[in-house]
Amino acid sequence: MSSSRRSTIIVEHLRRQQMWDSLARGKRLDGRDFNEQRPLEIEVNVIKKANGSARVKLGDSEVIAGVKVETGEPFEGLENKGALIVSAEVLPTASPHAEPGPPDEEVIELARVVDRGIRESEMIDLEKLVLVPGKIVYTIFVDCSVTNADGNLFDATSYAVVTSLLTAKLPILEMQEGKVVDTGKTQPMPVTTVPVSITAARIGDYVLLDPSSEEEGCMDARITIDTADEGFCAIQKGSTGSFTVEQLKKAAETARIKGEEVRARLKELARNG
Amino acid sequence: MTQTRNLIDENGKRTDGRGIDDLREVKITVGTVKNADGSAFIEFGKNKILAAVYGPREVHPKHMAQSDRCVLRCRYHMSPFSTDTRKSPAPSRREVEISKVMREALEPAVMLEDYPRAAIDVFVEVLQSDGGSRCAGITAASVALADAGINMRDLVAACAAGKVDEKIVLDINDTEDKEGGADMPVAYMPRLEQVTLLQLDGNLTSNQFNECIDKAVGGCKMVYEIQKQALMQKYFGNETELKEEQQ
Amino acid sequence: MYDVKRRYVIPGDKIAEGNFRPLMNVVKAGNALIATRIGIAETGRDGVKVIPLSGVYIPRVNDLVIGKIVDHSSLSWEVDINSCFSAHLPAQDVFGRDFSPARDDMGRHFATGDMITARIMAFDRTRDPTLTVQDRDLGKIARGEVLKISATRVPRLIGKRGSMIQTIEQATQTRVLIGQNGIIVVTGRTPEGIKLAVRAIKMVEEEAHTANLTQRIKVLLNVPETPTPQQETQSRAPIGAPKSEEAESTIEGVEEELEVDEK
Repeated sequence: MSSSRRSTIIVEHLRRQQMWDSLARGKRLDGRDFNEQRPLEIEVNVIKKANGSARVKLGDSEVIAGVKVETGEPFEGLENKGALIVSAEVLPTASPHAEPGPPDEEVIELARVVDRGIRESEMIDLEKLVLVPGKIVYTIFVDCSVTNADGNLFDATSYAVVTSLLTAKLPILEMQEGKVVDTGKTQPMPVTTVPVSITAARIGDYVLLDPSSEEEGCMDARITIDTADEGFCAIQKGSTGSFTVEQLKKAAETARIKGEEVRARLKELARNG
Repeated sequence: MTQTRNLIDENGKRTDGRGIDDLREVKITVGTVKNADGSAFIEFGKNKILAAVYGPREVHPKHMAQSDRCVLRCRYHMSPFSTDTRKSPAPSRREVEISKVMREALEPAVMLEDYPRAAIDVFVEVLQSDGGSRCAGITAASVALADAGINMRDLVAACAAGKVDEKIVLDINDTEDKEGGADMPVAYMPRLEQVTLLQLDGNLTSNQFNECIDKAVGGCKMVYEIQKQALMQKYFGNETELKEEQQ
Repeated sequence: MYDVKRRYVIPGDKIAEGNFRPLMNVVKAGNALIATRIGIAETGRDGVKVIPLSGVYIPRVNDLVIGKIVDHSSLSWEVDINSCFSAHLPAQDVFGRDFSPARDDMGRHFATGDMITARIMAFDRTRDPTLTVQDRDLGKIARGEVLKISATRVPRLIGKRGSMIQTIEQATQTRVLIGQNGIIVVTGRTPEGIKLAVRAIKMVEEEAHTANLTQRIKVLLNVPETPTPQQETQSRAPIGAPKSEEAESTIEGVEEELEVDEK
């Protein structure tokens, strides 16, 4: 059962007024332009025991993603493809409001939307990850832990997943007498495209990219748009407000342009990381 | 996902015989659950979905009540016999996500501030599913809310559009959902002209995105006419005089 | 009769445009007046309103309601008034200012399960409704058959100046207590009379929005068409006559029929 709830961040009216006044003058409270993201810091290979990992800081939101490669059965109906499973967890450390326990609907939504972006863009060529068709395939787990929540977990988590996959070292496995054997050699993940997530929040008539948690506390609605090389691959409108069709078309166009910029950065990181 | 076979034949007919701009057959019956304050049963193509509304009513547990507005609670659930392979009755992650986006699609229309310290519960049960069940569910839930006499700014109508064989089509069915190129469910408040649900699963270029969202909104407007008809039919029946009296 | 425009509406329908006052179940959006519920929209001199055809009972101050005692604390009784809000009847209302829980036994005065007629004294967004029984005809209901109808049908059941309910009472030799919250208690001379009255009440509930309802009710009750002198001079206001504007402005069908009756 999904229940409407107060935003856990209650923004004081005075601060809200400040925000509105600032937006009317074309700037956000932290001085950013409407289409400006917060500083993005990415560090890769932070978890040595994982096949791939990344720590992303988007403003003060921090997410760590780890890739673990195993083998298993393929998904039903997808016998000739490897399996990819993306999940996310908001750790109790992330904010005063986070509690340990089973994932709530917000976290489930976060994990599913991030997974959708990776899956629909076909970022990983899963057909190259089959050992015995229909029986044994590579199973790639990407698990994300949000260690500090300060707005826009959708983008932060997505960037963590993408960079951890881009820099992961896939163990080369082969079948020897019916058993899976690790050859000890590695290769990069078979990547076809780099999906990029761009999230915006609508406050009144203003649509602001990469909302901070304060802006999320005041927003009317949110839109997350994943772009890949050919266009859009996943979109999710979130929160209890609405958008006009024009606002959505404009947000999509901005996401496409901004996405290109971020894509170039992520690709460069992968090259050097 | 990339398609593996053609889903539209040489005559422009889709797997279920429809043209690319054709909506499936939609039938809505209002007030089918006697105990509920409001309810609606919808048949959207082969989807059979029941929506029941209880409320406004007291909030249990009491501490969940909000002093200045109502709490809207939504549950989207699929019956075990609703899909090809039996589905476990326990709520799946997909159902959790859909419950959330469904609530977020309906909230902008419901005047929650009119019922402080109360709750409105919306239950959507998918008895048979065939692609687009969340849109059909939202459509039925909106009618059920109106049937319950809950103050609303507008109705919410929902419809999906998608990409099949590189063409943008209206209201994709189950096969097109599983094998097609993209699926975009949309919920829309027709008078306020606001989109309250938008999701995309698949691949669309910029132009395709614009075409798809326009087509889905057009579909929502068609669904709205059916919602309106169903409500008028239940409440005003054959009383045509008042219906025709215009400003 | 002043010119009142009426039409059927669903939530979101635009009723009128211009300088009208939004009344119940209507919001003003820019220049337009929009219906927020299913019902009959009326545009008149004093504003635009929608008479709802469905919905749970939302308490209003001064409404007469029939409720069921469900519990009591040391200071008040908790009363179920068929709404999303639970009502309270303060012990002081019954026992007076110098009420003492030790001396005055609340459970003996009103016990759990008792039905009472009460008036809503206070209700606002911050607290649950408070009731009073300090009035003529209020208090415990000793006997009768209880039924529940939708609160939105109550004005139609009462009729213009009580005409509908009086027709039913006279034809069935019953007395019908109507709460604005949709709870009804019927008492009468014979069980057949009570049963017939209940049937008539249920018929009104189901067909409230249709035309010629009074006709069909009279047929059900075997009442002759021509008004008898008794009906015309009846002046007793029926129990439950509301003080709010709803009863005065009833559905078109009722007024048409009454004009015919009063010929």
